[in-house]
Order: sequence, then C-alpha cells, then structure tokens
Amino acid sequence: MSEITPLANPRGVKRLCELCQRPARLQCSHCRVTYYCDSDHQGADWVGIHEKVCQLLIPLRTAVPFHTLEVEREHHRAQTLQRQEQLIELSRATAQKKLFEGKHQEAVPAALLSLRCCVEIHGTSALQLVPSYLLLAEACTGLGNLTQAEEYLCRAEWTVLKNTECGRRLRHTLHRSLGLLHAAKGDLEGALEHLASDVYYASEEFGSDHIVTSGGYFHMANVFFRQNKMDIADSLYTEVTAIWHRHLSSLLEAHQRSASAPADPPLEHSLSEAQQAEAQQVLGAILDIREQAPRPDPTQTARAAHSLALLHFLGTNTPKVVEFGRKALRCSQLVPDCGLTEPIERLLQLAESRSA
Amino acid sequence: MSTASLPRINTSFFPKIITAENHSRFHQQRQNGGHGNVESGKQSGKAQPLKGNDKQPRFTKQDIAVYRNSHKHNICVDMLRKGYHKSFSELFALIQKWNASREAAGPGSAIWQQEPLEEQLDKLDQLQHFLTRAEAAQRAGRYEEVYTNQVSLARYFDNSEDKWLSDHFFESSLHTASLIKIDGGKKEAEAHSNMGKVYMEKGQLEKATEHYEAFHHLTLGRAWKDEAGRTHNSWACEGLWRIYTLLADKMLENKEHKQAIKTIIKAFEMAKEAGDKKIEGKAAYRVGLAYQSSGDQQTAMTYLNMYMELSKALGDKDGLGKAYKAIANALESEGKVAESVEYLEKFVEVSQGSDQSRSLEEACMCLGVIFNSRGQYDKGCEYFAKAYEITRNLRDLPLLQKTQVYLGAAKARKMMTAFSSHMETTGLVNTEELLAWKDSRNDMFSDPSTV
Repeated sequence: MSEITPLANPRGVKRLCELCQRPARLQCSHCRVTYYCDSDHQGADWVGIHEKVCQLLIPLRTAVPFHTLEVEREHHRAQTLQRQEQLIELSRATAQKKLFEGKHQEAVPAALLSLRCCVEIHGTSALQLVPSYLLLAEACTGLGNLTQAEEYLCRAEWTVLKNTECGRRLRHTLHRSLGLLHAAKGDLEGALEHLASDVYYASEEFGSDHIVTSGGYFHMANVFFRQNKMDIADSLYTEVTAIWHRHLSSLLEAHQRSASAPADPPLEHSLSEAQQAEAQQVLGAILDIREQAPRPDPTQTARAAHSLALLHFLGTNTPKVVEFGRKALRCSQLVPDCGLTEPIERLLQLAESRSA
Repeated sequence: MSTASLPRINTSFFPKIITAENHSRFHQQRQNGGHGNVESGKQSGKAQPLKGNDKQPRFTKQDIAVYRNSHKHNICVDMLRKGYHKSFSELFALIQKWNASREAAGPGSAIWQQEPLEEQLDKLDQLQHFLTRAEAAQRAGRYEEVYTNQVSLARYFDNSEDKWLSDHFFESSLHTASLIKIDGGKKEAEAHSNMGKVYMEKGQLEKATEHYEAFHHLTLGRAWKDEAGRTHNSWACEGLWRIYTLLADKMLENKEHKQAIKTIIKAFEMAKEAGDKKIEGKAAYRVGLAYQSSGDQQTAMTYLNMYMELSKALGDKDGLGKAYKAIANALESEGKVAESVEYLEKFVEVSQGSDQSRSLEEACMCLGVIFNSRGQYDKGCEYFAKAYEITRNLRDLPLLQKTQVYLGAAKARKMMTAFSSHMETTGLVNTEELLAWKDSRNDMFSDPSTV
C-alpha cells in the first residue's frame, strides 16, 4: 500500500478509486495499477476480488508497448482480449460464489469488475453485459438496496429489448431476477408476471420438468403464499418437490449403477455448487412450510424430507442424511401406501454403511 | 460502498435508462414510434391502429406482450400468472409431443404438411379455457367438473386431424373418473365406454374389449340412462357384441373355429342382454353361420331358426330372406334337398315382396342350380330366366353375363334329351327337324306339335 497525491499525477491522467470513482489517494503496492480513495475501499476490493486478480490486471492496465510490426500489434490485441475474457469469467464466478454464500457485500467488487471489463470489450449495449447486471442486481437486492437493484435490472432489460436475438436462457435469468425484485418490493402481480415468463423461457430451454424451471415454480409459489392463495401455492410446492425428488433419485440411481465399477466417480460433482445451494434452500423452505402447515400432509412432508436426505447424501453429509431420513421415514409410515418407505430405508442403510 | 460504486457508469455512457416509474411510458413510446419509425418496424407489423394521434393511448404490459410475443407464449404466461402450472405443463408437453412426432415422421409425411398446433390459435384458446377450468376444479376437489372439462376437450378435438388429442383427453378423463366415488361409478363407466370406442377406432380390439368389459361390469344392474333414454347397460352390451363379432371374424380368418364359436356365442349372449331384437337376430345368424362353417348343421339350424323367428317377429323381410337362404344351405349340405328347395322357394317369395332384387336374384340362381342338378331343367330354366330379368335392371355387367351363361346352359340342357333322341333315331323327319333347328336356332324340340 503506497500513498499517492492526486496533485502529483501526470497531466491528463486521472486516478480514480476502483470502487467509487472518486479521486484516489492510495495505490495497490502489488500491482501498482489499481487505486483507491481510502483504505476501506481498498480492503473491500481486496477481499472481494482483487486478491485473485491483482497480477492479472498488470498487463491490462499498463501502457501498450511499442510494436513496430502490424503482426505484433495484432498479437498483442488478441492477447489482451483473451486476458480480459479470462478476467470476466473469473470475476463472475467469484461474484456468483459469494452470492451463494450469502456474502452480498463482498460480491459487489467482483461483479463491478466483470461489468467494467465487458464494457471495455463489447461496448455499452451488448448482451454480454446482462449477466453482470444481474449479478449486481442480486447483490443489491441481498443488501436491501432495491432502487439500485432496479436500476441495474432496467439496464439489463433495456439491453435485452434492444437485442432481439437474445437467447432464451438469458431471458429466463433476467425475468427471474426481475420477478424476485418485484416480489421484494411487494409488487406481487408484477412479480408473478415476470416469474411466469421466467418459467416459460426455462421450459422452452430445458423442459417444463427440469430443475432449472422448478426454481421459477418455487418463487411463484412463494408469491402465491404471500397472496394467501394457499391451494395454488400448495400445488406448486408439490410440483417443485416432485421435480427435485425425481432428479435426486435418478442421480442416486445412476451413482449406484456406476458404483459397481471400481472407478467410483465422485458423487459431489453430479450437482454443481449452485444447484446444491439452490436445492438446499428450496427444499428446506418447503419442508418448513409443510411441517408448519395447519393440516399436515405426511406424504408431501416425507417426500421433501427424503429429497433433502438424498441431497445431503450426494453432498456426503452423513449425519444430516440420517436426520432427514429418519424424519422422512416417520412421515412416510403414517401413509400406508405412498411408496416412499422402501427407498428411504434403503438410503438410510447406505448412509450407515458409509459411516461405518 | 455498493451504492457509491455506481457513478462510474454514468448515464452519458449508457443508453437512456428507464426506471420503473416511466417504464410503461417507455413502452408506449416504443409502440407509437413503431408506426412512423423504420427502426422499430419489426414490432409495428402487428400493432393495432391507434385511436387518435392527439391522445396518447395507454398500453399495459400485457397489451405489449400480445404484439411482441407469439400466441403460445402469451397463453402460457397467462396461465402461469394465474397459477395454472399443471395446465401449462400439459399444454407444453402436448405441443412438444406433436413436434416430436412430426420430427419423427420427417418431411413429406402427412403430419409434416399440417399446421403446427402452436399456430392454431383457436385450438390453443380452447385448450387454455378447458384446462384451466379443469385445474381449478381439481384444486377445489370437484372431480366431476374436471371430468366434464376433459370430456369437452376430447369432444372438441374429435376429428381426424386431432385424433391423438382426443384420445389423450379421453384417457385422462378415465383417470379422473376413477377418482369420482360419489356417483357409484357412472362417470367411470362412461369413461370406459369412451376409451373402448377410441380403441375400437384404432383397431386395438383386445384393449377395447378390456374397457368395454369394465363398462359392462360397472353398469350391470344399474338404471343409468343417456339423453335418449337408453340404458348404459344396453350400450355396453351392444358394444361388446360388436367387439366380440369383430374378434370372431379375425379368428375365423386365422381358422381358429373353436375359439371363434366361443366368442361369437358370447356376442350372442351380449346381444340378448342388450334387449334389442334386431341385434339378437343378427348375432344368432352369425352363430348359425359359424356352426355351419364348422360343419355342425344341427346346431346351426337351431340358431338359424331363432333368427328366422326373430325376423318374422320384426317383419324384417331382408333378414327373413337371409334366414331362409342359410337354412336352405344347411339343409342342402345335409342332403335334404327337398326341404332345402322348400326354404329357397320361401326365400324367393319373401324377396319378391321386398324390393331386394339382389337377394331375389341370388335365390333364383340357387333354385335354378338345384333344379338343374336334379334334372328338372324346365324349372331351372324358369328360375334362371327370372334371375336374368332381374339382373337386366341392375346394371351389373359381370352378373348379367353370369346369368346369361347359366340361362343358356340350362336351356341347352333342356333341349339335350330331345336333340339326342332325334339324333339317335336318324329318320327323315328327325333330320329335317334338326336342320330346321340349325337354321332357326329356336327351341322347337320341346314343342309337342313338331314331335
């Protein structure tokens, strides 16, 4: 960390804070190309992303060396582009991870960096900017700063509107973010509209019974729950549980089939980190709702608990498997022929054999 | 920090930012601009004419979506927004199924030429209407209503092009009906009968039998009636009779006579139970024919007599004729030619009364053949001549030629005896007679004056 004085900058060079764009007074002493207004921002950026990208920024932010040959200049341009793309990918992944961990504050610097890089490569109205906007919006929503989130989302929506060739996957994520924002703002009808579009695009892309689509169903169910339309919410929760239950069961089955072969593929990779976090959140919430319902439905409770147990089994968290498995077993035994008792018992046995 | 981080991307740097407050206004402008503006011409193609230029029309987000997106998209989003996710996934799955079957059939096939389901707006609207109503009813636990809606859908799609949709909804209505317990299975019975019909049309007789048997079982001893006042049970019996008859036909084709007779007797019993004399008679006739083809003439006779009695009671002359003819056949193969002739003559008599020229012609031919084989050529000739007269009015050339040949042969046989006696005696008179015949080719041998 070294101090700089704005007045001592060379003429025409403005050094601005990496995070807030105010005149900078500090310089990162590792890379010497990143500036901050105070040590708070420097610390926040370091934790957020800078630690990972400090050295990567040097070639991008130093002056272009003088090349005599066209070929060399071309080569340098291509290399820069490649580095920038790497940087975008890395910063987005970091931001996403921080969001999943619930560290919204720490996700902001990474998301900002990715957005800035995107603007440098693609300009200001390209579709490639949308994922960064969505990350920023999610972080802002998480921080409770809804106006800011809305602003980012509006930019994203505008970009998508301008680009008619926008893919369905991007539209689906955009509408989900918009739906969540509206829900957070309390505009439930607007939220439903966006979530409906989200489900539609996700179904077009993945199929209507895919786990990606189930996320849209889950958020819609939450909105209906808040609107006190319990029957709709209930039917949607049932659908979500069924989708996850099916998916997780098939994953376990696939694993068991391949487990007979000596080369045991690691079970943890069957679901991505993001999917695991989502499943945990969704299924946990549904199980809570089921358990607190005025008229408990043991079949649905059992299915939700079983799905959670399966999820923890895939995540190799054996004590949790046993906990949820027992719960599921208790509920399933209340209903004579729900067809769940046997798979749950099998899962519990598997868990015991693993811990032994 | 997070809020403070925004200004780096300031507005001059980006396109104009639309906030939530002026969001709808922005859409309006876009719509407005779509008319004079070439840039947004893509969207303006579907835009409604504006009511007045001085007044800014107010567009909601839904209005814009109607122009911007496909009809399928709008319907899906609309259903989802109201929480009808099952309807959505069903519609979605149906469209996908159609597309998949189209892909599987490949270009050039019949389905390839059809308009895709997602572009037939009225059908999509119908689907949306009934599916959402069914889902709402299902949520409330009113399964009768769910059933009614599904059946309406099935009936709506009951044409050749959308057969598969109709089948699909009949199937789901059967599933729904099995959940309705209050009405004692009436809806379930109806659903089974619908499914039975569907499988019959597809030609899957075994499955149709299953459904019709379930239908019959459910309606046994119940007094449910349809709009026309006919009991469901009788419908079930009639359906089963038809299926069993078809099954028996198939078995006969495969030469499984024993099985066929068993099935056809089942059909007869069903027909009896249906309480419809006409069907009963037909079934009896079929049983008779089956026994006949397996060689058991005695049993065949009892059933055929039954048919005869029933036809007499109903005044069904055509049926009566058929019965007489079959009985005559049976008698003939038993060697009782005299009785057979008796029945055939009855047959002719009955057929003459009705204007069934074809069966009359058949009867005459039969009689002619029998008389011919018994050597009574003049009688044979008489019947053949009758048959010939009838066929002349029928405009059926092959048949006409056939009767001509038969008539000619019979006439020749009739002359044969006289001709040969003339030949044998070889007197002058005889030779003259023969020569005269050769000149005129008229039958003069049977004329007693010349002999």
